Amino acid sequence: MNRIEIEYFAVLRERAGTGRETVETAAATAAELYDELATRHDFGLPRGMLRVAVNDEFADWSRPLAAGDRVVFIPPVAGG
Amino acid sequence: MQAFSFSSVPLEPERYHAALEDPSAGGYASFEGWVRDHNEGRTVERLEYEAFESLAVKEGERIVAEAVAKFGVTRAACVHRVGSLAIGDLAVWVGVSSAHRGEAFAACRYIIDEVKHRVPIWKKEHYTDGDSGWVNCERCAAAAHDHDHEHDHSRAHEHAATAQHDYSRQIALPEVGRAGQAKLAAASVLVVGAGGLGVPVLQYLAAAGIGRIGIVDGDVIEASNLHRQPLYGIADVGQPKVAVAAERLRALNRDVHIETHETRATAANIDGLVKNYDLVVECTDNFRAKFLVSDAVVRALKPAVFASVHQYEGQVQVYRPLPHWPCLRCLWPEAPRDGMVGNCAEAGVLGPVPATLGALQAMQVLKRLLGLDAGEAPALVTVDLLSLETRRLIARRNPDCDHDQPGVPAHAGVSAATPVELEFRTLADAFESGLELVDIRETWERMHDPPGLQIPTHLPLSALVNGYLQFPTAGRYLIVCAHGVRSLSVTEQLRAQGLAEVYSLKGGLAALRS
Repeated sequence: MNRIEIEYFAVLRERAGTGRETVETAAATAAELYDELATRHDFGLPRGMLRVAVNDEFADWSRPLAAGDRVVFIPPVAGG
Repeated sequence: MQAFSFSSVPLEPERYHAALEDPSAGGYASFEGWVRDHNEGRTVERLEYEAFESLAVKEGERIVAEAVAKFGVTRAACVHRVGSLAIGDLAVWVGVSSAHRGEAFAACRYIIDEVKHRVPIWKKEHYTDGDSGWVNCERCAAAAHDHDHEHDHSRAHEHAATAQHDYSRQIALPEVGRAGQAKLAAASVLVVGAGGLGVPVLQYLAAAGIGRIGIVDGDVIEASNLHRQPLYGIADVGQPKVAVAAERLRALNRDVHIETHETRATAANIDGLVKNYDLVVECTDNFRAKFLVSDAVVRALKPAVFASVHQYEGQVQVYRPLPHWPCLRCLWPEAPRDGMVGNCAEAGVLGPVPATLGALQAMQVLKRLLGLDAGEAPALVTVDLLSLETRRLIARRNPDCDHDQPGVPAHAGVSAATPVELEFRTLADAFESGLELVDIRETWERMHDPPGLQIPTHLPLSALVNGYLQFPTAGRYLIVCAHGVRSLSVTEQLRAQGLAEVYSLKGGLAALRS
């Protein structure tokens, strides 16, 4: 199990009811982590529409996770 | 007494004072304007006032009524002199009676300030040297040149009409200076969307003295826009945004040429719009337009600044037509559909959120135009206005990105059709090519190579990379370095920036026979 810091933006924040949380997870990749959280928080957005950043850099969904990583999920935003 | 009147005989404040008395009034405030003996460094002997009375009385009465309504005072009046006045004479009197002193002072101040700004009164000054001049008259005439209807004419303030926009507070920055101000004046920027993001972008770019600004928007102003678009007022509801924005921006800074495009950005018009400007600021509230703009700037090799907001947060992304910079589609390969994640109309937003993101966009534009963004890596910046946290997420070009329309070359890059490197036998041959030679070697390298000093144009690569020097944006150049490696890299970058006739000397100076 890895301890991961997570931040949510925009609609994901609304769904999760928080902007950040720390989770203990067995997820090996960013994709597995999102799928796990999407189930827990009932995120409606498919993964293909989002971007994930690990430690302040955009990453592929296949990116392996390590303990202490900071993961940010970012949906596209349109308002103006 | 009348709320506003003119008098051709000396004013009698005691008489007017009596007319404002009322049992409910607990106080009285008045202002008297006197003729003084100097103006703008010249000694004044006497004055003459003339007014366009029918118009002036109406506007004056309106001002007094506004003051009574605005401050809830009991009675108010104003009398202005016309005719010939001597030094020390009373030129204008304002009196207000009110239950409380605060409102009386405020209303009195309001009336005199507004009368000075709005009522068409001409003043002729007679100077001790025998000279004379119509002070306000000439200024009104200058203002009338720019404002073609009566209302603006009457509002023309004596200073506003002749004042020049003063950029001294930004020129004072060592990184800006007069050269930077000249760059801004020479620049053209297209702002797509004149809403919550577009309003601050337009205001700050116009205020900064950008030479030419184009505004694209097909919407009319709605009352629900005003909380986040305070460039507009309640009286503008129903008017086209571009028209009202243009009027306000012209009033803000007459140096700036404003062009309006009263239309939505569409696939049919976007390329034509983008090609006429140096830089594009994307300020719409929908994905369709954002991707249209992204695709168009990629095709046109133009820099662009994107932003979006959602409730209390926003994102900013700069695009530059350089080989390693990602476009919007690199970041969002699966173009989101509108309605899926909510815009301001659907999700709600507080006005300062788009205002902050729009101000950030305006800053990125100024940075780009002034060359203050050297060494900046491509990133998506997120801003959370609730937690006041910002995050800079490094973004890279997506090698699989296929953002362009079919048949359009992928990404900004070097066209395969034109050669990038040219071969010459001697330096003399290179000079004869008609291309301007540019030596990008460092100063110390040139000092060790006397023949190289024959190349008069020297832009050291280190200064280009750090942004201390800018490469010209037009012309035909042959870039020269020691072995042709650095010059090739610079040439590719310049091609990507849209400079078509730029070449690299193959093999560098080392390959030439002296």
